[in-house]
Amino acid sequence: MYHRRILTEAQINQQLLGTVLTTPLWWIVLVSLLGIVVAGAVGAVGWLFNQGLGVTGLRQPVFWGFFITNFIFWVGISHAGVMISAILRLSQAEWRRPMVRAAETMTVFALMASLTMPLVHAGRPWRIFYWVFPYDWARGIWPDVRSPLVWDPIAITTYLTSSMLFVYTALIPDLAIIRDRSTGWRRSVYGVLSLGWHGNPRQWKIQGFAGILLSALILPVFVSVHSIVSWDFSVSLVPSWHVTIFAPYFVIGAVHSGVSAVVTLMIIMRKLYKLENFIWEEHIDALARLLMVVAMAWMFLFWLDLVFALWLKEEQEITVWQLRMFEPPWSWLFFLFFMFSFVIPVPLWLFRRVRRSFTWMLWTSLLVNFGMFLERFLIIVPALMRKGPQTFTYATYRPSPVEFTIIFGTVALVCFLLLIFSKFFPLIPLWEEKEGQLLIDEVKVGNVYVPALVKEH
Amino acid sequence: MAHDEHAIPRVPTHQEVASDIMARFQNVNQRYWRLVWLLALLFAGGIVGFIIRLSDGFDDRSNWGYYTATLSFLASTFLAMPIISAGLRLAKTNWRRPLTRLTENMAITGVLIWLMLIPSLIALPETEGRLDIWFDFPHWMAFRGGNLMVWGTVVLLGLFLLWLLALPDLAAVRDHMPRSPRGRFARALSLGWTGNVRQWRLLHSGALLFGAFYLMLYPTLQTLLQADFQAGLLPGMKDAIAPATALINALQGAVGMTLVVMYVMRRFGGYERYFGIDQFWALSKPLLAFSLLWFYFWWGSFITFWYGRQPGETELIRFMVLDSYRYPLMISFVLNFIGPLVALIWNPVRRSIWGPTIVGAGVLVGALVNHIRWYVAPFSVPDPPAGEPWPHVLPELPAGQLPGVADVLIVVGGISGALLLFTLVNKIIPVVSMWEVGEGLRLTKVRRFLARYAMVIAKSH
Repeated sequence: MYHRRILTEAQINQQLLGTVLTTPLWWIVLVSLLGIVVAGAVGAVGWLFNQGLGVTGLRQPVFWGFFITNFIFWVGISHAGVMISAILRLSQAEWRRPMVRAAETMTVFALMASLTMPLVHAGRPWRIFYWVFPYDWARGIWPDVRSPLVWDPIAITTYLTSSMLFVYTALIPDLAIIRDRSTGWRRSVYGVLSLGWHGNPRQWKIQGFAGILLSALILPVFVSVHSIVSWDFSVSLVPSWHVTIFAPYFVIGAVHSGVSAVVTLMIIMRKLYKLENFIWEEHIDALARLLMVVAMAWMFLFWLDLVFALWLKEEQEITVWQLRMFEPPWSWLFFLFFMFSFVIPVPLWLFRRVRRSFTWMLWTSLLVNFGMFLERFLIIVPALMRKGPQTFTYATYRPSPVEFTIIFGTVALVCFLLLIFSKFFPLIPLWEEKEGQLLIDEVKVGNVYVPALVKEH
Repeated sequence: MAHDEHAIPRVPTHQEVASDIMARFQNVNQRYWRLVWLLALLFAGGIVGFIIRLSDGFDDRSNWGYYTATLSFLASTFLAMPIISAGLRLAKTNWRRPLTRLTENMAITGVLIWLMLIPSLIALPETEGRLDIWFDFPHWMAFRGGNLMVWGTVVLLGLFLLWLLALPDLAAVRDHMPRSPRGRFARALSLGWTGNVRQWRLLHSGALLFGAFYLMLYPTLQTLLQADFQAGLLPGMKDAIAPATALINALQGAVGMTLVVMYVMRRFGGYERYFGIDQFWALSKPLLAFSLLWFYFWWGSFITFWYGRQPGETELIRFMVLDSYRYPLMISFVLNFIGPLVALIWNPVRRSIWGPTIVGAGVLVGALVNHIRWYVAPFSVPDPPAGEPWPHVLPELPAGQLPGVADVLIVVGGISGALLLFTLVNKIIPVVSMWEVGEGLRLTKVRRFLARYAMVIAKSH
C-alpha cells in the first residue's frame, strides 16, 4: 500500500512550508477573486436585510428553502474533519496523515459557513435576540429547551469549539517549526501560538494524549450535531419528515458528502501546492474505498426511509414521495440527485483505475456533493409545498438570484478561508509526515519487497 | 498472533503453526465428548419444547413469541458472525487471521436457523388487512416464499464462504489423516485442492466477492425480520430505523459471541497462542462502538415517537418502553449500553482477556432479552376480529408475557443446538485457519525500531 518515498526532515519542512514562508502569485489572484464573490454575497445579504425576505423565493407554505438546505449541506461537509481525523487516528489508519489537517480545517470553516445561514434565513437576524434575551422559559413555545432548534446552536458551537481545539492541538509542533524559521513580528506571533514547544518527550506525550482524548471526545459531538439537525425535521409531524431513521440517515449522508469534499480538496491542494510527494494515488484510493462503504450504508438507510414511508400507506406521505420522484421539476432533481450521489460514482469507484485517477476522483467527488445538496433540497421543499387537508395556500418554490448569490458566496467563503489559512499554517502536518516516514518499512516476501508498517511491540 | 509484551518477539514458522493446529484438531478428548453430549441433551430438550408448542397448534400466536425470539437471536448473533471475517478481510487487518475461521464455522448454524424459520412463518397471520413490506405482491410468494428465499440465500452464502475459505485446510486434513473418516470427508470436500496459483487467486477473489455479497444481503434479512415478524404485528409501528437498529444489535452480538467463544477456546481448547491479547483488544473497540451505536439508534427511534405524540406512537411507547416490557428494556439497556460503555472506555479493560469476555457475555444476555422484547411483545398482540382491518393504534395494552416451561426449553435448546453444530464442525474444519495464519506469518518480520523491537507487517494487496 505505502510505496516508500523517503524524504528527509529538511525536505518535508521545505516542501510543506513553501506557501507559508513565501507568497505565490496564483494565491493572490485566487484570494482576490474569491474575495470578490464573498463581497458580492455580503452585498446580497445586506440587500436581503434591507428589503426583507420578500427578495427570496420563500412563500407560504414553503418557508424553508435554499438557506436551510445550505445550512444542512455545510454541517454535512463539516463531518469530514472528524471522520477522517478522529476516527482514522483512533483506528491508527496510516494513510490518514496527509489529509487530517485539511479535513479538520475544512470542518471549522464549513461550520462557520453553516452558522451564517440561520442568521440570513431569519431575515431580521437582530430579532433573534428578542427570542434569546431574556430567555423566556414560561411561554412553552420557542425558545424552549425541549426544541431541537435550541439544541442546534448549542451542538454546532460545541462542535466548532472542539474542532478548533482539535486543529490547534495538532498544529502546535508545526507552529514551533515555523517560529524557528521566521523573523520579526511573525516570529513573536508564532512563538506565542506555539506555547513554548521544544519537542521534549513530555510535550510529545501530552500532545499525543491530547490528540487521542480529543478524538474520542469529539466523536459523540460529531454524531450529535447532524442528529440534532435531523431532529429539527423528524420531531415535527410534517409528512416524510416524521421518521425515526433521519438521525443516522443525516449523519451517514453528511459523512458521504464530507469525505467526498475531502477528496476534492486533497486533489486541488495537490495541484496548487505541488504536493505530489505527500498525496499519492494510494491515499485517494483509500478514501474512495471508504466512500464506497459509506455510500452503501447511506443507500441502505435511504432505502429504509423510502420503504417505511410507504409502509403505513398514508396518503400524505405517499403524496410527498410522489412529488419528489414523479412530478417535474422535482422528479428531474430527484433523478440527478440519485445519479450523482450514488449510481454514477459508486460503480465507477469499483475500478481501481478510477480510484487511483485524480481526474476521475475529482469529478466523482464533486458530483457526490452536488447530488447531496439536491438531496437536502428535496427533503425540505416538496414536503412543505404539498397540499394538505388544511392547506389553503400552496405554491411552489423557486430560489431567487439573491439566494443563489448567497449560496455561491458561502462556497467562496470556505475556499477563501482555506487559502488564508494555508498562508499562515501548513495544510499537511509536518510532524505527522515525519512520524509516518519513521514507520514505513519493507518486508521481503518471496522474491519481492512488500511495503510494510512498523507495529510497535 | 499473541505475544508476550516484554519479550523480544519471535515469529513462529508456518510449519510450527500448522503442526500445532493440526495436532489440536486431531485430538478429540473426553472433555469434547462431554460437551457434545451436554449440548445434545439441551437441544433434545428444545425439541421437546417445540413439540409441546406444536401440539398446541398455530392458532394462538402468542405461543410462538419466545420461539421467534430465539430464532431472531440466533439469526442476529450466529448468522452475523461471518460478517466479522468478511469485513475484517475487506479491511485487510492482520489481527483477524486467527479468528476468521471461528466466525466462518458459525455459518453452519444457518441450517438449524433456516429450519426454525418455517414454524415462525406459519405462525404469522396473512398479510391481508395488515401492514407489510411486500405491499401488493401475491402474498404467499412474497411473504413466506420471500422470507425463505432470502434467509436461505444468506445461509447458503455463509456455508459457501465457509467451504471456500476452508479449502486449503481441508486439503491439509486430507493429506494428514488419509485413512480416518474425517480425512475421507475432507478429501471429498477439498475437491483436489493442490494450492496452485490459479486456485489461490480464485480463493482470494471469491472470498472478497462473496464476503461483500454476504455483507450486503444480511441487512435485507434483518429488514424482513423486523418488518414481517415485528412491525407488521404492532399497530402504529412505523419505525424505519428498526432494521438498522437490529443490524447494529446483531453485529454487537456477533462480536460478543466471538469474544466468548475465543475465551472458551483459549481456556479449554489450548488455543492461547492464537486467541491472544491482540484479538481481544482489537475486538473490544468495535464492541464499544456498537454499544454506543446501540443507544444512538434506540434513542433516534424513541425521541421521534416521544415528540410525535400521535396515539399509535404513545401506545407503542407505553407497550414497549414504559409499561409491559420495561424490565427487558432496562436489562438490555444496562447490558448492551451502560455496561460496555463503563467497562470498555478504559484501555486496561479493553487490553485484557477477561474484560472484553465479560462484557461480551453480558452483551449476549442483553441481546437475548432485547430479542424477547422485540418479538414476544408483537406476537402477544391479538388479531382484530374477523373481517376487520388491522388497527393503527394498539386497541388495548397486552401485559408482558413471561416464559412457560416449553419456552425455556426452546430458548435453551435452540441456542444449544446452534452451539452443538458449531462444536461438531470444529472437528471437521480446523477452528483456526492454518493458511491464513501462515500467510500472516510470511508478512511479519521483527526489526529493531529505535530502542525497542517491533513487528513490521507487510500490507499485501
